[in-house]
Amino acid sequence: MSYLNLLKLGAPEAIVVLIALAVLTIGLTNDRARGLPGVVAAFGILIAIWTTARLPQQASLFGGMLVISPLNSLFKMICLGLAFVTVPLAVSEKSLRNPGEYLAMLLLGTLGLLLLVGSEELLMIFIGLELLGLSLYVMAAFDKTDVRSAEAGLKYYLFGSTASAFTLFGISLVYGMSGTTSLALITLKLGMGPIQPLMAVGIVMTLIGFAFKIAAAPFHLWAPDAYQGAPVPSSAFIASGSKVAAFVVLGKIVLIGFAPAHGNAGWHMMQPGWSPILAALAAFSILLGNFVALAQTNVRRLLAYSAVAHAGYTLLGLVAGGRDGFSATLFYTTIYAITLIGAFGVVGMVKRETGGDDFQNFAGLASRRPLAAGCMAIFMLSLAGLPPLAGFFGKFYLFSAAFRSGGNHGLLWLVVLALFGSFVSLYYYLSVLKVIFVDQPPAAEPGQGRTAAGQFLPLATIVILAAAILILGVLPGTLAAVITKSVP
Amino acid sequence: MIATLQIFLIISAALFSIGLLAALSRRHAIFILIGIEMMLAAANLNFIAFWQFSPVRAPQPVGVMFVIFTIAIAAAEAAVGLAMVIAVYRHFRTTNVDQLTRLKG
Repeated sequence: MSYLNLLKLGAPEAIVVLIALAVLTIGLTNDRARGLPGVVAAFGILIAIWTTARLPQQASLFGGMLVISPLNSLFKMICLGLAFVTVPLAVSEKSLRNPGEYLAMLLLGTLGLLLLVGSEELLMIFIGLELLGLSLYVMAAFDKTDVRSAEAGLKYYLFGSTASAFTLFGISLVYGMSGTTSLALITLKLGMGPIQPLMAVGIVMTLIGFAFKIAAAPFHLWAPDAYQGAPVPSSAFIASGSKVAAFVVLGKIVLIGFAPAHGNAGWHMMQPGWSPILAALAAFSILLGNFVALAQTNVRRLLAYSAVAHAGYTLLGLVAGGRDGFSATLFYTTIYAITLIGAFGVVGMVKRETGGDDFQNFAGLASRRPLAAGCMAIFMLSLAGLPPLAGFFGKFYLFSAAFRSGGNHGLLWLVVLALFGSFVSLYYYLSVLKVIFVDQPPAAEPGQGRTAAGQFLPLATIVILAAAILILGVLPGTLAAVITKSVP
Repeated sequence: MIATLQIFLIISAALFSIGLLAALSRRHAIFILIGIEMMLAAANLNFIAFWQFSPVRAPQPVGVMFVIFTIAIAAAEAAVGLAMVIAVYRHFRTTNVDQLTRLKG
């Protein structure tokens, strides 16, 4: 293995590191510069996407530490794309002083995403998880002038590092029982005999860490605080990139690594394994997320609880398992990430103009900014799963994959629960839209018309994301076919 | 007494439980940090013990490698955690996590 070869295969990661250092240097020399770091970061991410597209079809380095496959390359590009659209949101956020440092943290977090997605070895997965986590904690606490940002950062950090300690302990038990940390070899070992109790403990503890990352109930307690208190671009990145990568890795770990310990989550044929655990997490998340979201009066908190519910829906695909289920999960989480970055973009605009993100701040958005209001309508209806938006097809693929799997429609109970949850969720998504389109803004709002300038960049980003949701809704087959083709 | 794998596993399980108890029951952010560090140390002990007592020694020292990385990661995590505690202390003048109640709902 020559170093030149390593550099060639690890080019996207290397470029992201270099750009992060460059942006940090620009930020150090001129800590108020806003445009230049943003342009450098965006340009660097585009180069990284281009090099990812030119990677070979199949390659593996250091026994699975860095694996290049169509699936990994596709999701590296998707994660880089999500980071790319977060850059304009971050640059236009005036409350973030030192944008150079902020963008450097964003790029290091992106590196964590790339390592997570591109590895099939537990050590590398853990390093990626921690790199991503540490960057996100700092990004959540980045607004030093805001009390809530510091509180959100500390809470996110405490829950996050406890969860990663669980994952590490779980990984240590899995390593001890199988003698290896490579997912492919763990499968071989697991397939050889009955599962030992210590191995079962290890699997469950590993899953806890990932349940935290995807914010599945009951490991969701950090999500409302982090989504509400963190600066808006950080919330957007936590809700999108981190979630996509976590689902890709969780899918790989359970479907490749722990495949022989599948178990069965069917109603009358429950068998111990990881799938009943994930099914229970999914059911609990769908119920809790949807019902608590009904009571929220802050849009970001509402999005957080709806994120818990969506984590539940997305888990359905993993419980169903197989190629069908995994590609449905990946399709849904991609659509969801695009939608949420857009929704947080609108929240950021409203917050800059009115100084808050409660329901009353959104009143009259339709008359103030019709374009942003229209985009928010697309995002909310897509989250609710109404046709012809992309969210509908995401749910359709997921639910049909779960319905078909498990022999004799054993997962029907979960599908019914998810349909009921989507029905409940319609209420709170529509209540956001009601505030935007029907309610009148309170007269003589002190912060009214505070700033209209500098909103072009985020608005353009939001419009592009909304267009993507519309196009993927009309032609869902394009992305779905690419994902299905890349899933092994 | 001969050191066996079982003894190491019992010690590491105890260490992990004590750390978890500290992280869950303590109200002071620094004590929670200490608890989390103990949980990470318990996992490290597991890796070393499993590597030392493995029946067939793998060509690569995976367990030791994992521990070296984890120690570095735990140090980074402590650094970020302490920075976070300082940021919170500047705003709230306390590090008691029960008094961080700006975000609710």
